This record gives sequence, structure tokens and C-alpha cells, in this order.
Amino acid sequence: MFCSKKKSLEVERIVKANDREYNEKYQYTDNRIHTCKYNILTFLPINLFEQFQRVANVYFLFLLILQLIPEISSLTWFTTIVPLVLVVTMTAVKDATDDYFRHKSDNQVNNRQSEVLIDSKLQNEKWMNVKVGDIIKLENNQFVAADLLLLSSSEPHGLCYIETAELDGETNLKVRHALSVTSELGADISRLAKFDGIVVCEAPNNKLDKFTGVLSWKGSEHSLNNEKIILRGCVLRNTSWCFGMVIFAGPDTKLMQNSGKTKFKRTSIDRLMNTLVLWIFGFLICLGIILAIGNSIWENQVGDQFRTFLFWNEGEKNSVFSGFLTFWSYIIILNTVVPISLYVSVEVIRLGHSYFINWDRKMYYSGKATPAQARTTTLNEELGQIEYVFSDKTGTLTENIMTFKKCSINGRIYGEVHDVLGQKTDMTKKKEAVGFSVSPQDDSTFPFFDHHLMESIKMGDPKVHEFLRLLALCHTVMSEENSAGELIYQVQSPDEGALVTAAKNLGFIFKSRTPETITIEELGTLVTYQLLAFLDFNNFRKRMSVIVRNPEGQIKLYSKGADTILFERLHPSNEDLLTLTSDHLSEFAGEGLRTLAIAYRDLDDKYFKEWHKMLEDANAAVDERDERIAGLYEEIERDLMLLGATAVEDKLQEGVIETVTSLSLANIKIWVLTGDKQETAINIGYACNMLTDDMNDVFIIAGNTAVEVREELRKAKENLFGQNRSFSNGHVVFEKKQPLELDSVVEETVTGDYALIINGHSLTVYDQWFITLFNIVYTSLPVLAMGIFDQDVNDQNSMDCPQLYKPGQLNLLFNKHKFFICVAHGIYTSLALFFIPYGAFYNVAGEDGQHIADYQSFAVTMATSLVIVVSVQIALDTSYWTIINHVFVWGSIATYFSILLTMHSNGLFGIFPRQFPFVGNARHSLTQKCIWLVILLTIVASVMPVVAFRFLKVDLFPTLSDQIRQWQKAQKKARPLRSRKPQTRRSSSRRSGYAFAHQEGYGELITSGKNMRAKYPPPTSGLEKTLYNSTSWIENLCKKTTDTVSSFSQDKTVKL
Amino acid sequence: MSQKYIWVTRRTTMKRKSQDCPSRLPDNSAVKQQQLPAYRLQLSANKILFGFFATGVFCLGVGVILLLSAKTIKEVEINYTEKCANCAKLRENAANFDKECNCSIPFVLPETMKGNVYMYYKLYGFYQNLYRYILSRSNSQLVGTDVKDVRNCAPFKTSHNGIPIAPCGAIANSMFNDTIILSYNLNSSIHIKVPMIRSGITWWTDKYVKFQNPSFQNLSSAFAGTTKPPNWPKPAYELDEEDPGNNGFINDDFIVWMRTAAFPTFKKLYRRLHRIEHFTEGLPAGSYSFNITYNFPVNRFQGEKAVVLSTLTWSGGSSLFLGLAYMVTGAVTWLAFFSMLAVHLRLRERKMFFLQQ
Repeated sequence: MFCSKKKSLEVERIVKANDREYNEKYQYTDNRIHTCKYNILTFLPINLFEQFQRVANVYFLFLLILQLIPEISSLTWFTTIVPLVLVVTMTAVKDATDDYFRHKSDNQVNNRQSEVLIDSKLQNEKWMNVKVGDIIKLENNQFVAADLLLLSSSEPHGLCYIETAELDGETNLKVRHALSVTSELGADISRLAKFDGIVVCEAPNNKLDKFTGVLSWKGSEHSLNNEKIILRGCVLRNTSWCFGMVIFAGPDTKLMQNSGKTKFKRTSIDRLMNTLVLWIFGFLICLGIILAIGNSIWENQVGDQFRTFLFWNEGEKNSVFSGFLTFWSYIIILNTVVPISLYVSVEVIRLGHSYFINWDRKMYYSGKATPAQARTTTLNEELGQIEYVFSDKTGTLTENIMTFKKCSINGRIYGEVHDVLGQKTDMTKKKEAVGFSVSPQDDSTFPFFDHHLMESIKMGDPKVHEFLRLLALCHTVMSEENSAGELIYQVQSPDEGALVTAAKNLGFIFKSRTPETITIEELGTLVTYQLLAFLDFNNFRKRMSVIVRNPEGQIKLYSKGADTILFERLHPSNEDLLTLTSDHLSEFAGEGLRTLAIAYRDLDDKYFKEWHKMLEDANAAVDERDERIAGLYEEIERDLMLLGATAVEDKLQEGVIETVTSLSLANIKIWVLTGDKQETAINIGYACNMLTDDMNDVFIIAGNTAVEVREELRKAKENLFGQNRSFSNGHVVFEKKQPLELDSVVEETVTGDYALIINGHSLTVYDQWFITLFNIVYTSLPVLAMGIFDQDVNDQNSMDCPQLYKPGQLNLLFNKHKFFICVAHGIYTSLALFFIPYGAFYNVAGEDGQHIADYQSFAVTMATSLVIVVSVQIALDTSYWTIINHVFVWGSIATYFSILLTMHSNGLFGIFPRQFPFVGNARHSLTQKCIWLVILLTIVASVMPVVAFRFLKVDLFPTLSDQIRQWQKAQKKARPLRSRKPQTRRSSSRRSGYAFAHQEGYGELITSGKNMRAKYPPPTSGLEKTLYNSTSWIENLCKKTTDTVSSFSQDKTVKL
Repeated sequence: MSQKYIWVTRRTTMKRKSQDCPSRLPDNSAVKQQQLPAYRLQLSANKILFGFFATGVFCLGVGVILLLSAKTIKEVEINYTEKCANCAKLRENAANFDKECNCSIPFVLPETMKGNVYMYYKLYGFYQNLYRYILSRSNSQLVGTDVKDVRNCAPFKTSHNGIPIAPCGAIANSMFNDTIILSYNLNSSIHIKVPMIRSGITWWTDKYVKFQNPSFQNLSSAFAGTTKPPNWPKPAYELDEEDPGNNGFINDDFIVWMRTAAFPTFKKLYRRLHRIEHFTEGLPAGSYSFNITYNFPVNRFQGEKAVVLSTLTWSGGSSLFLGLAYMVTGAVTWLAFFSMLAVHLRLRERKMFFLQQ
């Protein structure tokens, strides 16, 4: 526990850079984190306090107290204390182990190194010693140590890129940028050391996407928002270094604020168990009352006269009072009816399951060397009961690795391989990949197999050239040459990357860009195009264009975008080509490829100049700026000449289709919540079999607000009534009309397999382990206790013995109906267990003529029968016998007998004559033939009805698993299990959506030159303008990202 | 219906795995991969049906054997509560405890009781299984370690003047103390006392482990400082006047009594027939009489007492119950077998259909 709780709640935070003394007076926490709960000293008190908040333990304690009252005490105190101590110790050991690992990981994190500016020098310091107000240096790919205010970075204008996967799971990079005043500090240590700005900001909170604060420095104030903040847990990417000032440290960081106390999640089994335990408790009370009344009556009628032998005190002669005392005695005696240790055994089982999950090689993802990891041990069995799987974003379904597969240029498809007979065949790895292998820039992994395209390029087909040129020019990719002289493309969306790379491999190499030029290498010759305008992508335009002037002076507009959009804007002369390309697109789409249409337009100089002037005017306009710009874009992007179409494959993650199919067969509904375009979402939905052609009702739900979406969903639900799966495509649009789609859904392979395998395995897992553990906890321990305290088993409380294990058994098929069947079974078994020995012992002498109906022999007989009956029941329930099962089942019987013999041995009696009065009992009883006959009869009588019942159930109402088991058996006889047929890729008539996974705003970023190195200095003349612009694009970007975040939080409410 | 949602995301908080781990591929051991060699228990219909049939045969067989052997047992039970009414009346008043009362009950044995014959006393309505009654004893006293240890013996711990009782407790105090002597009336004038053995009627462990006299040369001095239970006419060390070795805590009758019965009606072994002279074959048919010294009061708790003579079989003194229970179980199992068979055959076609699916 951290004792850092402030005396007063922090309302706002004031931090001064490089001034530890100043900051100290606010007593901010340092960067040390404590996720552990205890230390060596506090462990015992805190853990015990926590444990005794549990009903089960309190119940035991209550019993213990009851037992200390001699008038009531019917069992010795250690009957209760043994299980209690056992339970508490086991839980404590588990908690201690957990905490030990937390300590270890805390230590590891706290001891990470980071460079801190101390005394005007950069010094290596452990994370835990970093203080609020410190300036720390981060290097590329480093984890951020604390919540920082970004001061400066290696990138121009104080930009830096971070990956927030640890925080929100998004793998795409986010941009952060420093205030211009601080970004000037650069890497100048002396200037940074002198930086003494004061930040006044919000108090620590857990909102990852909000930050408000003000930096006061050099007499001026600068407002701070989330875009200036790098949060702990992020990783610095594509930025060689940056400096930041610690605002929140350690437990105050947003990450830690979010990862606060883990809420204990209760599974439905927990809840059911609680209910049942309450019922059982009620049952126990009723039993106690009935028995107490019985006792009163007996006292009144019989006991009264029997007093001669006891000379009871006068006070106890009152039969009502005696009944009252009896009630409490019975509560104690029958306490084992309440299956308190069930909770513990369930915990142990869950722990075992999670180990199995972690150990499962089938759930090992070799790609990332990641085994499955069960993060919580409390929800394992819930995995067998999943009804809905939610997946965020379509990107989880796909590998997000795009490959350029096919294209249609001027009505001809390239990328299909024709065999000798002229029939299309799928591209196979046998074919040699094509490409200009002479080119040093060749990407050796480029999997394009069509030689026809190469021939066309070589022959100089102008359309083909224009097509590739467009691919090399019209994009937002940034290029960089690394030290080895290789071109590195910084790709903002992978499908663009695929296109540019394709062009590169086909001889049109995008080399470099400045805000005003684009240089490409066309079949070996460098050509520089002047970038005149960049008509950026957005979700409504669904296209992007560039207007360039080639060295010959011609102005061209190159456009790529969604076919539906682009086809509307074509010149009428394209009609024939359009139909042809359209067919091709359908074909591509049928293969699940993502398509884009490609077109260009020749512009004449004068027209462009006019247009450009209007654009500049519009840009300068104060009101309706966006609308005017959009209008101008519309205006120029028309009369396009169609070039063709591209088809990019976004490979689904391995096994997604199979997983999705299995999940839907398992009647698990899948929801994908995605921020993708509707087309992409639908496309992927089809691609991974979530949507199929025979699903005729695909609902597109578009609503602009949460309320609307809810309404739409409700309507769709009405329509869908009876159908088990819906494809609801909620289009929630916020301020900036950022679409959010609620989608029906899929699944990442790794996690998907996890769920699936658990589904498949849950049967065996339960069978094996439940039963094994059941044995340890339920047969061994109570038997151990019973061996000592055989008084338990007298007439009344024999009732409880079978019930003692019944509720445990329920875990297999845990519902109330089953529960009552089990209770009935338990009552039957207990009756058999009591009355058969009773009848058999009544008035009977043993082999040596001595009476065997003494209560000790009777108790031993019943206990032995019980243990064997329970073991036989378990043996019958175990359908999967491993060595461990054998050991536990037979072992528990063996243990029982050895404990019994030990307890009844002369030696033990010699030492503790008072505690072990059963001396010689086992030896005497178990050598009697008639006792074994009684035991045998008891077993037969208690087990046979169960077997008969099950047999009839399987015969009359076979469950699916029964049928499957039978089928498996039949299959096994015939031949080994058939491996699953590989799923054939769907062939769908559906038009594949165009897919473009990138954000708006990058065009602006490019034309402003903000993200370019100094070696391409922006024209000085435009500096002010670009500076002004820069804020706007960054704002735009930010808006996009925050929208996404907020829309995600929104869809949680929508989903209700 | 509660619905379960599981969020599947790639979201991770605080990933702190050490990256330098060489391989995180889980071990390929059979335990971890849940691939322990296993036998899949498949109870097919045929197996189950066969099992039921066999169990039925077994139960019926055992039942028949038990019933037949139970029939061979000869047993004579004579309830002498009413027959010794005057003694019973005398004992109703606790003040008369020191007055002797004898009672003779003649009876005729129509058939010879062959083999070992055992004599029991039998009590009706005596709750030796009463919880407090069972607890009211001191095992450490009875094992001779501490003759004055009377801790658990309430309400018979000490006498009125505070002297610890030995043996203490309600069980010991209520010990059955009738003397029963069986006489064989060879003819009207010659009455032979049937020779009886009073040893070997206890468990070995009881006699030699659980009950031990305090180790003194003189038994009466071993019991010094203690007093006799209030209901007893004599102290423990004078229980058996004939056999000095049968006194104190190791007295056989005492040990038998101390092994408390599970039910309110019980019989306890009293004597075994000493097979000598006339009785080498067992008890010959003829007229007998029980001479009872009536000490034990049963009227106070509306109980009854009886004396039982019985022979044994291989399984002991089995009653009809076990045999009948086996018969019933066997019959029910067969009934179940036939009905299951019927159901199974009727559904066979349906089953085949499933299998083909």
C-alpha cells in the first residue's frame, strides 16, 4: 500500500522545471510504482483482514466461536479450525506468491534506466528516482518513464511519434509536437538545464486523451493540451531523441491511474454458487430447527425418564431450552453441509486451468514468440460460456500487411497467371516473381507473378506507364534513405505502401519529395515533378488526388479512390473501359481484394491557374472555408480518364476464417467495433465468412448520434428477431463526422484461438482437473477430518455427507436444476448410507459373537462406505483417465484407509488417549465379513440408480456431447479422426469495398513540409504561412485521433 | 438470462515481460500439454447392461446365501422385564439399591443349539448413543495413566465430598449389573449350571490397549483416593470376586458396557458357552432356567431387558435384513436391467440414425 495519500486532495498541479526543491514542497509522488499490496510486515494483518471479509471465513469463525461455548459445542474446536487454517493458509500463500511477482515486476520497472538532466548534466538514473519537474531524455524505441511534457525532439518543429499500444492497444503511430518556444531548445543541454518554466495543470486523473494546463515561461503563457504530452507506457518511435519534463510521476501517471484496483470479476458460476450456498445455509437452518424441535419432543417424552443416568441440572430439564441448545449444536455438527471449501477448490481449479492455458503449445504464437497468457484466474470457466466476442477494429482480423496482387490497366487484367490451356490458375509459389531484378531498389519479397505486365512496361505501353506513374506520385508516403542507401518508405497506411512498393518494383521508383516536388525514377531515369496541389483524402471524398507538373510542363491531375466515387467523375468517353474495369473490379472483389480505381486528367495551364487562385482564396477565407475547398476539389476532379484499378490483398490473419466459422458454429456472436470505413468493414466481414451471401438482411445502421444509433439498432433488432446474428453497421458521426462503425465482428487469431481452444478443451479440462482437485479437497480432507471426528457420522448428520460433495460436482454442469437433482441424489445416497448399515447392524453380532452395533463400528462402516461411494461416483464421472486421475482416485481411497488405520492405531492412542478413542476400531471392523457385505451393498444401492438414470438419459435424451462421444467412438474404430477440411475461400458476388486505411490530414502535413528534414527546407517565403498551417493540420490530426477515442468510448454506451 | 461478454482486444496494460527470455515456447511435456496417456472411459450400453445383469446376479446370489445361513442360526430371547415384575418394582426405588432380588425364568429349548453358543443381555430403549452420555467418560483414566483424571466425566466426576469417581462418567455409572446364570435342568432334580466363559467377550485392543489398570501391585491401592460410581454396589476393583485378574478397568463386562451401542435397542455379549461335559456339541435340547440377580433398573426409563442365547454362522450373527436387502437390491437391479434393455432396444434404430449422422 502506498502511504502517499495526500492530506488534502490535489486540485491542480504546479510543477517547475529543473527545480526539485520547489516541487518538493508539494510532496508529489516520485516515479516509483507500487502495484504490490503488502510488504513483509504488513502482509499478515492486511491479508488476514482481507480474508476475513469473505463470508466463508467469517462463517468458519462464527462456528469456532460457537464451539467454544461448552453447552453447545458438539464437536471439538479443531474440526473447524483445521479447515479454516487450511483455507486461510492456502489463500495467503497464493496472495503472497502473487504479490511476490508484483514486487519483482515493480522492481524491474522501477530499476529501468533513463537519462535525467541533473545539475546541467545528463545522468543515468533509475526510473524510480525520477522526480516531478525533471527533464529526461528519451531515445528511439524507449519506453516513456513518466507523463512528460514534450519540450523538444530530433524531428523538425518538435514533432515526435509515439506508439500507444500499451495504453489503448492502437498500433499506429501518433504524432506529438512540442510548443514552438520549447522546441527551439533542441538538444542544447545548457539551455535545457536553464529551462525554468512552470506548468500549472490538472490534478492526476485517468483520462488518457485529455490534458489541460498552462506553461508559464519567460513571462508568457502557453496553453498545453494532450498533444504536448507523452504518457508513461508509450514508446517513442521514428524519433531519434526527445526531451520532456516530468509532469506526473509514478502512481500519478495516467497509466497507473487507469490500472488502479482491479475489480474482482465474478463469473456466473460464482454468482450461482453464492445463491446455492445461501440456499444450503437456509436448508441447514431449517434442518437445525426441525432437529431442535425433534429434540424437544424427545426430551419431553423419553429423555425425561432417561435422566436417571445423567442427573442433569435442573435448568437443562426444560425441553425447550434443550431444543434451543440442540439447534446450535446441530448447526455446528452439520456445518460441513455448507460447502465453504468449495470456493477454495474452485479457486485452485481455476489456477490449474490458467496454468494449462499458459502452457498450451497450441496457443503459442511463434510469430511473436508469445504463449497464451491467462491474465486473470477468475474467469477461466467463463471461457466455456462465451456468447459474444467483441473485437476492436478490423485490423485485428487482418495481418495489416498489404500486398499488391492484381491490377487492371486499360481493360486488361495483370497479375493472373494463365496456364497452357489458358485457364486462370492461382498464383503459386512455383512461379518466379517478376520485377526488374536489375534495379537495386528491388524488393526481393515482392510477390507479383505476371510477366505480361513486365512485357507491357518494356514495350512502353503509355497507359501502363501512366498507371504506374500515378501510383508513384499520388500518395502520402515519405521516403528516407538509410545508411546503406536503401529506400525506406514511411508509410502511414499499409495499402498505400503496397501500391508505392508495387510501382517501385515495376520500375517507377518514388525517390524523394519536398513540399513542392516529387522525384521518381522512371525506368532508370530520374524525373522531378512539381507538386502543384494536394487534394487530400477524407472519408466523404473517398479519393485523393495530386496535381503535378511534369518536366515537359504538362499539368496532370492524378486521382485514386473508391470505384463508386471515381466512376461518377469519369469523362463520358470512358464508358466502354468503365464496364470492363467494373467487371474486373467485381472479380477482384470476389477474391476478397481491396480495390482502388485509378484515373487521371490533363489540365490546361490557364484553367489550373484560375482554379489555384480560387483555392488560395478559399484557403484564406474565414467562413465556410472547408465547404469552399471541398467545392473546388469537386470542380477539378471531373472528366477523369480511367486508367484502371488496383487490387491489394489485406491478408486475413492466419486462421481467421476457420476461427470465425467455428465461432459461429459454436453459436458465439461476433461483434467487431471498428473505426474503419463501412466498405472495408463489410468487405472484411465477407472475407472472413462473417457475412455470407445467403445472409440476405444486412443492416446498415447509420446514425449521427448515440441516440440515433441506439434507435437504429433497436429497429434492426426487431427485424432480426429470430436471426442469431446481425450485421449492424452503426455509423456514429461526431463533430467532425468521423465515422464509427459498429460492426459484426471477428477476431484476432491468437486470441481467437485462445477462446476456441478453450472451448474445445473445456470438456476435458473439467473432466480431468475438476475431478482430481475435487478429490484432493473433497475426499481426502473431509475424510481426514472424519477419520478423527467420527462422531460426525451419526444418524442425523449422515444426511450431510453426500451433499458435502454434491455442490462441488455441480460445477460440471452448474445450474439450479442440476443442483436439485444432485440434492435429491445426495439425500438418496445418504439414506442408503445410513439405513442399510442400520438395518444390517440392528441386533447383530459379529463373527466372534461380540456385538458390532457399537457406534464406533457403525461410524467406521458408514465412513468407509461413503468414501468408496464417492470415489466410485467420481470414477464414473471421470471419462478421461490419466495417470493423475488414477493416482488421485485410488490414492484417495488408499489415503483414507491409511489415515483410518493410523488414527485407530495403538501407538497414536498411547500418546493421545483423549483425542483418538477409536483405537482398534478399523482393525476390528474391517476384518468382519458382514461389514464388507454391508459396504458392498451400500455401494451398489447408491451407485446403481445413478448409472441407470444416466443410461436412460443418454438413451432417451442424448445431449450433443453424448452423441459426439458416440460418434467419436465409432470413428475411432473405423479410422483416425479426419482432419478438418480446409475452408475454401468464399466466392462472392459482392463488390469488394475500396479500402484506404489512412487518416485525413497527411496531405496537409506533406504540403506544409512539417514532417520533412531540414535537408528539404521549406521555401522561406512560405514560412509564416506554413507555421500557421501547421497548427491547423495538427489540430485536424488531433481531432481525428480524439474522435476515434471518444467514439470508442461512445460505442460502449451504444451497445447497451 | 445472463449474457456473458468477453472483450477481446489487443489492449495490454503494463506489459513487463523480459524480452531477453530465450524461448517462451511452453515445455512440451505431457502434463503441460494435457497429453498424458489416458484411457477414455466409455461406458457403452452393452457394458452397462451387462454390468446391471451381473450385479443383479451377484446380489441375488449373496442374498440367497445370507438368508440360508441366517436360517441356520438358533436364537432364544427371553424378555424378563415383566417376568421379574416384583424385582423391577423393587428397583424402581433407588433407595433399595442394596437389597438383593433374584428371579428365575424357566424355558425349554426345543432343539439343540449346535456349535458355539453365546449369551447376550439385551436392552430396549436404552439410549447409549445419547450424545452427552457418550462423552461422559475419561479415556485417560481408563487407560490407567491418571486414575484421578475425570475431566470429561460430567455429571459423574466426583462424589459429593469431592473425591474423584473411578471409573467416572455416565457410561460407567449406568453399567449393566444383572447377574445371569443359565442352568440346565437335566431332570427335575438335577440342575446343572451351564459352564460359561466370561473372557474373550471383548475386543483385543479394548482389553489390552484401551483399558488398563493403574500399575500398582495391589489393585485396591491403585484406586486409592477415588470412589466408586454412585450406582455401583462395589468398587471397580471388586467387580469379579472369582477371578482377581478380571477386576478394575479391565473387567470384561465393564469393557463390553463401555463400548457404547449405536442404537437404543442393543444386545451385548455376556458369556460364551464353555463346551465341556454335556455341552461339547452346544446346548442340548431340554429345559433350562435363567437365574437372574436383578439389579439393573429399566422401568425408570420405560425400557426392557432380555437375555439372548444365539449361535453364529460364517458371517456372524446375521439377521435376515442383510440377506433381504441383497435380494431386494438384486431384484431391483434386474428390474432396472430389463427396463433399460427394453428402452435401449426400442431406441436402437434411432441410435443408429444418430451414429450415421
